[in-house]
Amino acid sequence: MSAADGATGAATCDEELRGGEGPPGDEARASVRSVVRVLARCLRLLAPLRNHLLLLCAGFAGLTLLLVPPSLLFLDLIWTRALQGEPLPELHAWLLRLDPAVSVHVDALSAELRRSVARRTIAGGVGLAMLVAPAAMGLWYYQVWILQRLNQLLRMELIERFQNLSLRFHSEARVGDAIYRLTQDSAMVTSLVEVLLLTPAYTIGGYLLSVGLVATVDPRMALLLIAAWGPPLAASLVLSTPMRVGFRAARAANAALTARIQEGVVGMRALKAYGAEAREQAVFERASRDAFDAAFSARQRFALYAILVFAGVSTVLAAAAAWGALETSREAEVFAVRLFAATGLGAWNLGLFQWFRDRFGDGTNQLRRLFRTWGRAQDISIGLTRVFEILDLAPEVVDAPDALPVEGVRSGLRFRDVGFQYQDDRPALESIDLEVPVGGITAVVGPTGAGKSTLLALALRLFDPDRGAVELDGVDLRRVRLTDLRRAVAIALQENLLFGTTIRENIRYAVPDASDDAVRAAARIACADEFIERLALGYDTPLGERGSKLSTGQRQRLSLARAVLKDAPILLLDEPTASLDADTESRVLGNLAAWGRDRAILLVTHRLSTVRHAQRIAVLHHGQLVESGTHDDLMALGDGTYWRLVRADASEGPES
Amino acid sequence: MSDGAVQTLSRALRFVAPLRGRVVVKMALLVASVLPLVLVPWPGKIVIDHVIEGLPLDPATYPFFVRPFAAWIAGGSIVEILLWTLAAQLFLLVAVGAFGAGGRERDEADAWLAGGHDTQTRTENEANAGFSLAGGVLGFLDLRYTMRLTQDLNHHFRSVLFQRLQALPMRAFDDERIGDAVYRVMIDTPSITTACWRILLTPIGAPTAIAVAAAALYFGFGEHPALMWAALGALPIALFATLPFASALRRRSVDSREAGAVTTSTAEEGLSQVLAVQSLGGGARERGRFDRDSWSSFGAYRAVLRTGMAAFLLGLLPGGALAGWAFLHTIDLVIVGTLSRGDFLVVFTYFTQAAIAALSLGTLWFELQGAAAGLSRVFWLLDLPSEADAPAARTLAPIREEIRYEHVSYRHSDGTLAVDGVSFSARLGELVALVGPAGAGKTTLAHLLPRYLEPSAGCVRIDGVDAASVSLASLRGQVSYVFQETWLFDGSIEENLRLGAPDASAADLSRALRLARAEEFVTQLPRGIATRVGRGGSQLSVGQRQRLAIARALVRETPIVILDEPTSALDPETEQALVASLREAGRDRLVLVIAHRLSTIRSADRILFLESGRLLEEGTHDELAARPTGAYRRFLEPGPFLDAQPIGA
Repeated sequence: MSAADGATGAATCDEELRGGEGPPGDEARASVRSVVRVLARCLRLLAPLRNHLLLLCAGFAGLTLLLVPPSLLFLDLIWTRALQGEPLPELHAWLLRLDPAVSVHVDALSAELRRSVARRTIAGGVGLAMLVAPAAMGLWYYQVWILQRLNQLLRMELIERFQNLSLRFHSEARVGDAIYRLTQDSAMVTSLVEVLLLTPAYTIGGYLLSVGLVATVDPRMALLLIAAWGPPLAASLVLSTPMRVGFRAARAANAALTARIQEGVVGMRALKAYGAEAREQAVFERASRDAFDAAFSARQRFALYAILVFAGVSTVLAAAAAWGALETSREAEVFAVRLFAATGLGAWNLGLFQWFRDRFGDGTNQLRRLFRTWGRAQDISIGLTRVFEILDLAPEVVDAPDALPVEGVRSGLRFRDVGFQYQDDRPALESIDLEVPVGGITAVVGPTGAGKSTLLALALRLFDPDRGAVELDGVDLRRVRLTDLRRAVAIALQENLLFGTTIRENIRYAVPDASDDAVRAAARIACADEFIERLALGYDTPLGERGSKLSTGQRQRLSLARAVLKDAPILLLDEPTASLDADTESRVLGNLAAWGRDRAILLVTHRLSTVRHAQRIAVLHHGQLVESGTHDDLMALGDGTYWRLVRADASEGPES
Repeated sequence: MSDGAVQTLSRALRFVAPLRGRVVVKMALLVASVLPLVLVPWPGKIVIDHVIEGLPLDPATYPFFVRPFAAWIAGGSIVEILLWTLAAQLFLLVAVGAFGAGGRERDEADAWLAGGHDTQTRTENEANAGFSLAGGVLGFLDLRYTMRLTQDLNHHFRSVLFQRLQALPMRAFDDERIGDAVYRVMIDTPSITTACWRILLTPIGAPTAIAVAAAALYFGFGEHPALMWAALGALPIALFATLPFASALRRRSVDSREAGAVTTSTAEEGLSQVLAVQSLGGGARERGRFDRDSWSSFGAYRAVLRTGMAAFLLGLLPGGALAGWAFLHTIDLVIVGTLSRGDFLVVFTYFTQAAIAALSLGTLWFELQGAAAGLSRVFWLLDLPSEADAPAARTLAPIREEIRYEHVSYRHSDGTLAVDGVSFSARLGELVALVGPAGAGKTTLAHLLPRYLEPSAGCVRIDGVDAASVSLASLRGQVSYVFQETWLFDGSIEENLRLGAPDASAADLSRALRLARAEEFVTQLPRGIATRVGRGGSQLSVGQRQRLAIARALVRETPIVILDEPTSALDPETEQALVASLREAGRDRLVLVIAHRLSTIRSADRILFLESGRLLEEGTHDELAARPTGAYRRFLEPGPFLDAQPIGA
């Protein structure tokens, strides 16, 4: 009966999660296409930022194109004119404000003129850099802002999905793993935009520009630049899959480590109480080692890949430079003579050689960036797969398209022939017929594991029943709007989940704008007022901070007050008083019974002392409703389940 | 840089001490990867001077480290010279990943993966930082060596931190948010990489690179010492341009990290409380909170970025002036014919190398500021007072007789007195119940025995020995405590049972399960004792979890067992059976139970009745219930005691 009693369910979403961490064989099959597919999925996320992205790309393209002519001029002026002393073309003389008579129409420049060419060129270059550097940084900052915005969108989508996943998921998944996915893995989406959009746009754009510029000098050399794809492509073919395998292992190991830390910290008290610190330390260190080993193996593959790509494209660049040097030594004519004639450069010279070398270098460097990015993309696609694993888990409980609103509750809840089963085939509930009418407390009692908490989970529609229906005022819950249902229901649980804010904030969690009087009134009903008032800071006592640790019973009363304050027509209580002493319990239930006269209260308990205040009692045993009626009715049955429970509770009854 | 940052960093360096031999090797590798840079500009000069311009090649004009190669190719045709030079370049490319003058013709090996644009996601790269100033074969080997070194350092550091987390006093975990602790361990510890490597390696690598450039200029162009001085001048400029921004950057960096911790905390709380969030309709609000926190952590990161950009732009001015002057001076030398155009390329390349090295030294301050911010958060945690044995702590001998509280008081840090002068004793073999209204101090009193708390006054004696004078391990090894809120970790039932007794036999386990009345449901599970319990035991009901927690305590076979409201989630039948078996198990041990339920209380040998921290009454149920005006009787009156009477009658 393991999970039957816990509202948290037993289904395993584990399979779906582990699917992502499958054996390496999956990786080997995963092709280039699978990476691209994951990346392509993210395009949808870009829609809200489309205009920003376009503006950014336009900015970078404009800046790059703007810099092509100055770079050619600059190198020519320094190398050919200042260093070699060749006469200036007219354009150059005009730009540098030099007299054409002594700079253009001469055989060679004078030493004095060469110095002033150098000074003016460098002054112009520095001036241009002063203008361009802030602009480039501005664009880069803009890019960071856009990527952060995008990351934020994905994080929000993730957290919303986490909240809406059914509780079956949460009982299985580790919180630490979720946090890791939320922060680390989702950050990958920003890298993704860099990878999917910005880097390809920049690098391919820059590369094509280089090919074009090189072609104007010599089309055969442009072909060589195109051939430079060969070596990095070969390296990618060989290493992409091993990298992907490595990155997935590294991420899984890191997520496991995060979960390990989280769990270790939560359970620290028990670990210490049982002297298990040394063992926990060993486990932690092993997890930490594993994470590092996995990272090492993945990252060294990546580094090797990057080195191979560099070596490949650089060999081509070195060869092209040698070829260019030969052409320059022959003073060969350039291909697009007419284009260059305008600037006075018709043949290879030292300035053009340097410029050609730079442009060809730009081209190979963009290739290097592109392929390096491809290597990182292997990691990014793994990170995103893990994000999508969450986004792909459909919420089990969803609104019907024509879901009805809930406006007030008139008659109450009714379980009609309800059957429910957790996934491992142990029936949790079998044909339950139970009415929870407005007007006082309906108690469900039964031994541990009888299915009581499952009943509550169904009333809250955390699950849907397999058979039969749960009805609210005669309407099947499946046809009711989920948000309305949850609004109409208040709940206080066996485990008391409080937040790290003040007592006041905790009590009015469901009704943030509740007045202080309302908070106090609710606290009084839950008999919490008495201990709160005794605290030095009263209702403003922060929880989870020094000196304000509450006992279990006190926490229980706070969560009860929270449920009462919600002022909902239906109140679900799961062992709300299990940690209270008998006196307090009796007062709390008395208060609740009075407060609940015009509400439907479903109380689940195994403590018979709790039942005294109930108007109706139902007895659950092994998932079946075996008896129901008032206390007297049930006692009158004699030797029934209820009777036996009562007797056990009192068998050592005093002076009997 | 503030004193605080200096202290933090020097403390970080102490963690490197155990690895110092390997750090020395890394330093040697670093120098080895910088040295080949001296060769890089010369093939370019050979091509310009002897291939393009066709000048005759005289090996005597080359510095000693290029002369043998120059002599080797001297006298060849233009094509021969070109091909040999190309071959030399390709050799350099494969060996060290560098072959030409420009920045893009040099490879520095690293394994830096893509990260997000906030502080948090960038640190994983730091934790695994492997880097080399070289590429090629040397770079790859250097990278592997460095990455392992970095990882070992990080592993050591976060293990120390985790160990310290475990040594914190029991109640510390009531105070700190868990997400924050996780964040500290995972996110802040990698700062040590940046701190240590930058402190230890940059001051070696960068000056070496500058010195190599200056020395090469000296050997190549000794007759023009101005060139050497210009290269050396890059250093002070880079340092002084960045200093004014150091403290601003540190502040921003601290902000950024704190914002990241808040985000993690928010996410953690929202996720672990998902049941409450869902059932109370707080989903939208939680999302809003996360939205705000997450975005402000991004904003904090951008502030760090802005500061860095401002510093960079400002450093551009003096650096640009120096470069411009050196550039013009060199061009002058070419114009008067002292230097060839190939020489210009060589000088220019060395300048670039020196400038890059100087820049990395200049940003050293910056990066150290950021790292100091991360590290100070880690050290804060390391410095929290931890549980420690007294210097002369003895080992507690196996408990044979009794425990005795002598005028024990405990005062909370907020001043309230939780336990007020309590004295009692209890012997092995007894079942003692602590009874009293909520807030009476029962749990606090029990926590004092295994020293989860230390008494403010009085002492707890075990077989006559003051508990404060014995080692914690020997004391807690003899006390099993079952907490009010049971915690199971996400492993199998068996693993959970073995938490406190890893060597227990299968028979021990099943005996404990039987005694805790857990055997029945465990055997009904499809996978029995191997069933995984889910996060926090969520696959099980609360009652099942409680019984497993009790079984876990019983497996340890300790002389003292403390049960803090162990049975609140059990039905009366189960509870009664459990109490009976506890009696049986407790024949030669002391069972201290905090209980509300009459049936449990009644079966105790002795009842200690507490109210407002004071021990009011002591005796058996019958004795205490017989006192007509007793506090215990008043306490019971509205409860199950009277209620049950008509049924039993």
